Amino acid sequence: MKQNAGKIAVEGKHIIKNFQIGSTTTKVLRDISLQVMRGEFVSIMGPSGSGKSTLLYILGGLDAPTKGQVLLNGTDISRFGDEKMSCIRRQKIGFVFQFYNLIPNLNVEENIMLPLLLDGKKMGSYKQQLHQILEIVGLSERRKHTPRELSGGQQQRVAIARALIGNPEILFADEPTGNLDSETGAEIMNLLCEINQTIGQTIIMVTHSPEAAKSSGRVITVQDGVII
Amino acid sequence: MKIILKYILTNVKERKTRTAVMLLSILLSTTLLFVSFSIGASYESAQRKMARGMAGSATLSVTAVEGEIAENALPDLPAIRASVPMLEGAALYHENGYYETIDLIGADISKLNKINPPRLADGGEITDFTGNKVILPDRFTSKYGIEAGDTITLQIGGQPVSLEVAAVAAYDTVFLRHTRGATALLPLTTLSELLGKTDGYSEILVEPAEGISTSELKSELSAALPDGTYRVSEVVNETQIAADARQKSMPFFLISFFSLTMSVFIIYSSYKVITLDRLPVIGTFRSIGATQKAVTQILLLESGLYGILGGLLGIPVGTLVLKLILQGMGESLSQGIEIPIVISPISIIFSFAVAVVVSLLSAWMPVRRASRLPIKDVVLGSVEEKQVPRRFILVGGVVLFVVSIILPKLASGNSLYLAGGFSLLGLIAATILIVPLLTNLMAMGLERIYGAVLGNTGRLAARNMRDNKNTVQNITLLFISISAVIAITVVGNFVTTYVSDVFNGAELQGFADGYMEQEFVDQVKEMDGIEKVLPVYVYENQMQANGTTLSRLEATDHLDWYGPMLALHYTEKGMEEQAISAFDGERAVLLSESCMDRTGFAVGDTLSLAVGSGKADYKVVGSFKSRATDVEAVIPSTFAVSDFGASAYDFLAYTAADPDAIMVQIRDLFGDTSNWSRTVEEFNTDALSTVGAFLQPMHSMTYFILLLATVGVINNLLINYIQKRRSIAMYKSVGLSNRQNMKMALIEGFSSGLIGAVIAIFVSYMEIQTIFLVAGPKISMVPELDAVTFLAAGGMGIAVTLLGSVVPIFKSRRMKLVEEIKFE
Repeated sequence: MKQNAGKIAVEGKHIIKNFQIGSTTTKVLRDISLQVMRGEFVSIMGPSGSGKSTLLYILGGLDAPTKGQVLLNGTDISRFGDEKMSCIRRQKIGFVFQFYNLIPNLNVEENIMLPLLLDGKKMGSYKQQLHQILEIVGLSERRKHTPRELSGGQQQRVAIARALIGNPEILFADEPTGNLDSETGAEIMNLLCEINQTIGQTIIMVTHSPEAAKSSGRVITVQDGVII
Repeated sequence: MKIILKYILTNVKERKTRTAVMLLSILLSTTLLFVSFSIGASYESAQRKMARGMAGSATLSVTAVEGEIAENALPDLPAIRASVPMLEGAALYHENGYYETIDLIGADISKLNKINPPRLADGGEITDFTGNKVILPDRFTSKYGIEAGDTITLQIGGQPVSLEVAAVAAYDTVFLRHTRGATALLPLTTLSELLGKTDGYSEILVEPAEGISTSELKSELSAALPDGTYRVSEVVNETQIAADARQKSMPFFLISFFSLTMSVFIIYSSYKVITLDRLPVIGTFRSIGATQKAVTQILLLESGLYGILGGLLGIPVGTLVLKLILQGMGESLSQGIEIPIVISPISIIFSFAVAVVVSLLSAWMPVRRASRLPIKDVVLGSVEEKQVPRRFILVGGVVLFVVSIILPKLASGNSLYLAGGFSLLGLIAATILIVPLLTNLMAMGLERIYGAVLGNTGRLAARNMRDNKNTVQNITLLFISISAVIAITVVGNFVTTYVSDVFNGAELQGFADGYMEQEFVDQVKEMDGIEKVLPVYVYENQMQANGTTLSRLEATDHLDWYGPMLALHYTEKGMEEQAISAFDGERAVLLSESCMDRTGFAVGDTLSLAVGSGKADYKVVGSFKSRATDVEAVIPSTFAVSDFGASAYDFLAYTAADPDAIMVQIRDLFGDTSNWSRTVEEFNTDALSTVGAFLQPMHSMTYFILLLATVGVINNLLINYIQKRRSIAMYKSVGLSNRQNMKMALIEGFSSGLIGAVIAIFVSYMEIQTIFLVAGPKISMVPELDAVTFLAAGGMGIAVTLLGSVVPIFKSRRMKLVEEIKFE
């Protein structure tokens, strides 16, 4: 169980994001500020093109805001260089994507261990942790399979396991059920809830599905680049 | 149809880089194939031109079996258009301590003009060419600063003769020659008097009348001339020239073979991506009623377009390349002759057809597979590539590889060439099948090494190569390119050595061709630094064996020296010892394999050798082949003296600490006596300047292969990066930094290059074995396999992949992570 009591996991301050296409500037996020507390499970909802995914990626350090700050443990990460930001991705945050984003020629174990391997950790030292994660996501029997040998739901479980292996402070999920049928989607949501509740994992999730959003403790709605 | 054509043209236009890569690969292959075809024909034509130098339009030469031939010896046949009597002699020109051999030709200028008019350097005409006059080639006059009107002194028959230079001629017609020295043209009557040969000529050159073939005239003349008195022979040995040209164009065809293989691979791999790209369009076509056949045709039409365009452009580009190559060849030839460009319609049609067919066939497999996919899967985008069980591919590859190695060893005669061709293609095809497995195995090994040495990034880089189609594709292209470069370099170097260094493997370091008494030989033996001296009696076109004239018979008293000196390769093991023992006291004869083929004589036969009044029976005790001598038969000199009255030697070979110093002394010993004496090094330099020029372009063509390989690698990188950028984005999303990405990319690049190079070195070694196994029966040399060639080519391959990694490294630095990850 993580130490969560009343601390801010991530904070966005006056986030503005503009996209430049030719001479046209599109304002995607217009001065958004928000706080997510440790142990919280927050859903971000909103219509297509509202800027919800952009907000998630900026909070998760995969994209940089045009203006504003992203504070992780009180440190602004929005202007970090590649080396520092990569380190944060390996150690502090985990990402789960709609299309799983697994490396096709690596097996389940290797895909899960990837953040640790990139962090220079020895695979042998993390056997116990790997075993636990595989148990949690229910893929112990499939550890040597490659992604193409797994179903969509199983692939998403691998992606969740990969996001969790480094014991991150925050788990970001971009429409984790968007590519799955409703039954499998529900299973994934149950898994995320379980993780949030059992180990106190902070989760920020973008979703279109009100059903999925119901699993979270708080719902933030974004429309036309602002939180409503 | 119009709309389909528009669709195809739009595709071609939209994918500019891919179109350029495919066009370039077809264009280069067509160019290479076209040049390979034409260079052989052009070389053949140049050789013919040189061989015809003296004869011009005459195709037959009539000589007397003994002595000279009289002009009226020739019957007046309507099949003869022109006949020109020629007188030949030799002279020496002495300048700065060096004796230049001059071949003298005496001809009636008005008659010579009918078959082979000399071309004057100033473009003028020869008007008065009588008396003590001479026409010399500009190559000779410019060397010694001689001008028209000057008087030069030549030693003819030991006497100094002053001749006025009537004109300077271009290095052409009768002045064209294969060897060092020069040819001088004198008025016929002048040379007759100088040589004391007033009752006949050396030969009469004959040109057939229009519509009469050389062979027709030859048979007519042979029938009309009295038996055994005259010899009618063809001026140009067409078979020999054609065989020579074939031999020299072999490396060029090898280059074409590899370039075509590479093109097939480039187009095939491009089309795999193209069809994948076009799946939505294919789905749309199929969903609105297009048949499988129609979809196949539409996609093939596009590749056909590349083939037609590449083929059409390849011919003019090939002509230009050929022109440049031949120009360079002509200039670098010591004789500086102009080599005509010979382009046959067949070479145009064939090169073009190959371009179209190769393009269509390479695209056919991926296209057919795409058009056969179920419409539902295509429309829903749920197409999964069918996995052929790895075991079948592996077993197929290994079987094909083994068959390719064994087959040429089992074949003989004409089937050997077929087996050789199959083997070359089979080795490449088999390796393509095995590459995925080899890559996995080697990557597994590297994973452990890199893991220990370079840490997790190294381990991941090696792991990333396993079961990675892009890596396999890169390694495949790389191994084809590297093995092509290695095979071409080795074969090219071999051909250069083979053609230019006829004394390869022979012990002799110098030789003298001329009249030599025993005293002369004794003096040579006394020279300072001399090691071995081997004097030989020679019977050229004189000795009869069972009634057949032997072109050259030599007699030696040191067969144990003769063999190594002239690199004799005995047909069977143990034959040498047998022959040496037989030569010691028996009437024994050794025959060359080509002589046995020509005459039908066999080892064990007894031959009746006869020359003049001498006649005796000799037993064939062995056979041999040698590139260093064109001798047909060898007998012991003891019996040459006792049976045929041999008295003076005609040829002498030697080895010495300083062959050049010995050569100077030998030339001095000869004095003004006509001789042809050279050190082997001198001879090789001469030969190399002639044939080396023909082979030079082959080395430049290797760059074409490298260019094609680069095109292929760029093509792969394009495909690679498109497919790889998503996986790079995935890595980056879980914390891969740019620095780590660069490290991984470089390790992957290096490892791909290394694996490609290792495979290529092995495959090219096997290919070289096949090439020489096929060529083996015709040659008596083995290739020298220089480790540096193999390592340099391998290193080049690694460098190419490392350089190729630079683009993805830089591109991925500026990668928009979110866009790549969100894109599906």
